[in-house]
Amino acid sequence: MGSLVLSGVARSFGDVAAVRDISFEVPSGTTFGLLGPNGAGKTTTMRMILGILVPDRGSVAWNGAPVDLATRRRFGYLPEERGLYGKLKVREQIAYFGRLHGVPPPLDRKRADAWIERLDLGEYADRRCGELSKGNQQKVQIACAALHEPELLVLDEPFSGLDPVNAETLLDALRGLKAAGTTLILSSHQMWQIEDLCERFCIIADGTVRVTGTLTELRAAWPTRVIEIEPPSGALRAALDAEPQARALPLADRAVLAYEVPARADVAAMLRRLVAAGDVTRFERVEPRLSDIYMRAIGAEA
Amino acid sequence: MNTVGVIFSAEFERRIRSRAFLIGTVIGALAIGALALLPGLLGGFASSTKTIVLVGDPALTSAAAKLLKRDFSIVATVPRLAQTPTVAYLDAHGKASAVAVLERRGDALHVVAYTRDPGGMRTAFATDLAPLQIGLATGTPPSEVAAHTKIAVEEHDVSGRFADASQAVAAKGIALAFIVLLYLAILLNAQSIVMAVAEEKTSRIAELLVAAIDPAQLLFAKILAATATSFVQLAVWIGTSVVVGKTVAGFFADAPAAAGAPALGVTAPEILWFIVFFIIGFIQCAVIFAAAGSLVNRSEDVGSISGPLYIPIIGAYIIAQFALQFPNAPNVVVFSFVPLLAPFVMFTRVVVGSVPAWQLVVSISINVLAAVALAWFSGRVYRVGMLMYGRLPSPRQIVAAMRQR
Repeated sequence: MGSLVLSGVARSFGDVAAVRDISFEVPSGTTFGLLGPNGAGKTTTMRMILGILVPDRGSVAWNGAPVDLATRRRFGYLPEERGLYGKLKVREQIAYFGRLHGVPPPLDRKRADAWIERLDLGEYADRRCGELSKGNQQKVQIACAALHEPELLVLDEPFSGLDPVNAETLLDALRGLKAAGTTLILSSHQMWQIEDLCERFCIIADGTVRVTGTLTELRAAWPTRVIEIEPPSGALRAALDAEPQARALPLADRAVLAYEVPARADVAAMLRRLVAAGDVTRFERVEPRLSDIYMRAIGAEA
Repeated sequence: MNTVGVIFSAEFERRIRSRAFLIGTVIGALAIGALALLPGLLGGFASSTKTIVLVGDPALTSAAAKLLKRDFSIVATVPRLAQTPTVAYLDAHGKASAVAVLERRGDALHVVAYTRDPGGMRTAFATDLAPLQIGLATGTPPSEVAAHTKIAVEEHDVSGRFADASQAVAAKGIALAFIVLLYLAILLNAQSIVMAVAEEKTSRIAELLVAAIDPAQLLFAKILAATATSFVQLAVWIGTSVVVGKTVAGFFADAPAAAGAPALGVTAPEILWFIVFFIIGFIQCAVIFAAAGSLVNRSEDVGSISGPLYIPIIGAYIIAQFALQFPNAPNVVVFSFVPLLAPFVMFTRVVVGSVPAWQLVVSISINVLAAVALAWFSGRVYRVGMLMYGRLPSPRQIVAAMRQR
């Protein structure tokens, strides 16, 4: 199976090192979440994947070969700041970007019409892009990026500024591309969306990789777990406080008891001790969320 | 279709359909039409401004009237004035433009003109009335003197380029018209190139384009489209000048047709040289303006970055005007080799003068090489400029970014 491999890529702008050392692999057909705070180097990394910027060091390979112009034309790109010709009509715009990536006429228009229907843009097909709302412009942009059925689609902050309805439409489109076998790399600050969609993640900060892997792998490396217990009775609280490995967590707005325990703690034994102490209606070992892993990886946890 | 072709056709279509192109082409055509009509109209104005009232002794005024016919129309002849003429007096005499009072002082003729346009008649009076002055001094009838002062003057071009002076004058008219076309085409399209490139950068379309196509190819396709668009514009303008010129020739049969209808009588070599120098000049300017556009981050900055780039174009236009009169002046010859200036200056020299073949070959070679060098340099600036955001970069920052790729 082919894949995208970044090996030790680095890129500076003058004295500023935007990317210091990034390595990861994206197996073909995978949906890959590239996460990091603002200024972490996500966009620069994406631009290097797409050949817009040349790395100072390291290499980018697709299916074992360096990424050249011919390869790049089989990639698609949705930049963070949308790029559309304001005076061009929606159908013409989508077809044009398709032709730029080698889709011949009349297939360009045929596919453009299919995407227009898929993204519910029918009533805007003959309107100028500059007249559309931001959400609809983003839909046009995704159609432009995907019309040539790219092998790899890179999406930089695809959900930023979208309302929930348009975000869901975009998610549907991305799920469709994923189902069709397109390799997707996307960055987003909307963790719940990205957690749902992606199979693999890479969290970067300060131009370096902090953690990378599937969510299961990231969770396996997480040192603690949270257990939630109901009801929040005094007896159960006393029993939990007596547990040497448990640390109480504040959950002000929820009627549960929450404690942090080591990942390898024997929670079954703990449950037995709690049942002996009082009535337990719920006992749950909560896996860390992607946002928890993210916050710890970038060193910003509370 | 390859990517260059895709960008070329899209860019060409976008430019042809743009409001700026339509407005520029229509205004240009109207301006050229007006220029073609101008000599005829001015001829009409000129004739209406040369009506005069003659005042003086009848013997003097009758002899003078015959001589002044060449340049003036005499609306009235009176022996004397009751008072100094006013505008009302002129209006009452067929809206005459002047009153000329002739007086004999000894053997000399003295003319006092009361005119609406001081300074505009002195030469014509002095020239036309010279036989009368000689006649008064020598006693020879003025008509006889006039007959003897007709001198046949022939001008021959030593290079053999022009059969007679009228051809040379016509060539200057043609050269002037082409220089104006070249100037307008470069000026209008250079501005649209800056705007288009700046729009692609500020709207971040550049990132998408650069991801799919090599920036040098992108620039090449854009310049090609801009050149093709300006050719369409030129065709419209030249067509307009031909049509209006023919109309003018019909309406103003006596007007100087060669100056009024510059496109008439244009030869194939002149068109060929125009195309050659237009392509060279246009590419030299277009690549520079495209590079400038790539450095702009806000549309408000377009003027400040492209403004200085107009200086060599305006300079070339002014030098070309000088070259029309003195095509072989040493400084004109030097300027006809200098990139950015040569397309205007050498073209003018070729049309109105006799340029040695070696000069033409050297000038074209230098300028083609300069166009390639400018395209290479601009391509590098364009490549980095399209992805540089923030404040307008300093020259040092541009060079550093170019080194960095």
